[in-house]
Amino acid sequence: MNAPARYELFVLDEGERPVEVIEDTKIPNAATIKVMKQDHTLGNLIRAQLLSMPQVLFAGYKVPHPLQPHFLIKIQTDGTATPTEILEQACNKLIQMMVSLEAKFKREFSFKDVDGAVAEDPYGTVTAGGATWTDGRDYLDF
Amino acid sequence: MAQEVDPIVRIRELKKDQVNFVLENVDLAFANSFRRVMMADIPTVAVDMVEVQTNTTVLPDEFIAHRLGMIPLVSHNCDQGMRYTRLSVMVEEGVTMDVTSAHLDVSGPHRGQEQHWNEEAEGNEEMAKRGSNFGHPVGKDDPNVPPVLICKIRKGQELKVRCIAKKGIAKEHAKWSPCSAVAFEYDPHNKMRHTTYWYETDARAEWPLSDNALEEEPPRDDQPFDYNARPNRFYLNVETDGSLGPQEVVMKGLQELQQKLASLLLGLKAEPELDLLPGGEAPLPPANGAGGAPGMAPASVWNAGGGSWNTSPTAGGAMWGTTPNPGGNWGSTTPAAAGAGGGWSTTPAAAGGGWADTGAGGGWQSPGRGPNPGWSSPSQNVNGWAA
Repeated sequence: MNAPARYELFVLDEGERPVEVIEDTKIPNAATIKVMKQDHTLGNLIRAQLLSMPQVLFAGYKVPHPLQPHFLIKIQTDGTATPTEILEQACNKLIQMMVSLEAKFKREFSFKDVDGAVAEDPYGTVTAGGATWTDGRDYLDF
Repeated sequence: MAQEVDPIVRIRELKKDQVNFVLENVDLAFANSFRRVMMADIPTVAVDMVEVQTNTTVLPDEFIAHRLGMIPLVSHNCDQGMRYTRLSVMVEEGVTMDVTSAHLDVSGPHRGQEQHWNEEAEGNEEMAKRGSNFGHPVGKDDPNVPPVLICKIRKGQELKVRCIAKKGIAKEHAKWSPCSAVAFEYDPHNKMRHTTYWYETDARAEWPLSDNALEEEPPRDDQPFDYNARPNRFYLNVETDGSLGPQEVVMKGLQELQQKLASLLLGLKAEPELDLLPGGEAPLPPANGAGGAPGMAPASVWNAGGGSWNTSPTAGGAMWGTTPNPGGNWGSTTPAAAGAGGGWSTTPAAAGGGWADTGAGGGWQSPGRGPNPGWSSPSQNVNGWAA
């Protein structure tokens, strides 16, 4: 059996760097960034965010081979920022968006709590799971 | 995406094991990443190794091992309750009739019990984060939930196995997926023509519309095709197998996505620093160094350039190791225990061999001593999970 171990899809090897930036020598303000141990989930998300940013002239990603657990993302900017900076901005924007989305989800779920829909939930979702933690200790108490 | 407008969420239905919601003002890439992350990247606990002590049933060992792996186990909070691949042990025994998941006894460390598995304080802290039924088969002790049938045995047949459940994610094996199904739809009227319907004479007459079509205006016949239209509204239905609640899946999914992005950011930032280090050894020193106190204030590495949010430096993301050295801990030593059945393997990694029955806790590592001591939980402080 010479199939690679499945965990290699998402665990960084010993000493492996998560990100590698390869500057483009022929095109100005362009770089290819290799992200290890990530797949379309992250690649496509970032690509879409980059394309929505006005400073980006080109953004595209590919997973070179389905058996190799990394993807490449190619970015060209208009020169106001380097591709790495733009990528950082894109990630920050996405995280901000997710933080706000998370707050909205929490709110929505709490409304549903009031409706009593969760009351019948024996596997209390974390916030409603008071019954599981008998010691009066919240799991957030360290 | 250009979030001129904030995303909107509307939960249409929330049940014990599923949630149905509408996501608006996000783009297709995000909605799809969210779906993917909920299906494949949320850790749960599942039986991963099976030591067959006696099996005189009609089913082969591997068959039973596979079935045991498929049983959903309660895994609430397991990203904190098990900071590392950790195990709970079950013994199962039967002499007659149907053997089901109800026959699985969960042993091993649990809250309130003597914790002989890990003496370290850190271990106890992990225990405190586990629910009382952590690791039990979903629906155990619940008369309304029929147990999962593993095997039928007749007079004289015997089955005795010892299972080890591990934390993992569905990228490694689908048994670790908390979701049994995730429905995802947009543009129910196919106004954007992202799909092509096969039809005899009239596609609209022959293809039924989904219920989600009630939420959107049907296109008028004289309406020209808007080739600039982008999907904006997504209908999702997340159904879990019971190992996690639907709310937990959704929230953990968002956190997991953030963590992926954070680890990318950390990698981008860490890069120049690393180049200054002699030999470039010890990658990500900040991540490893700071993680010692899990969940405590995030180290400052991050705040330097980040935005208004902070995530604990763990973001090393991929660093939480599922089976970081398969075989290493298990294999080797005495082949004694392997004698009985030999075939106790649900993952190829484990197939290696004789797992020495070293009694409680002997063979494997306690959390914290593992290769990645720097694992700490995704920060709750990001957005106030803490009530």
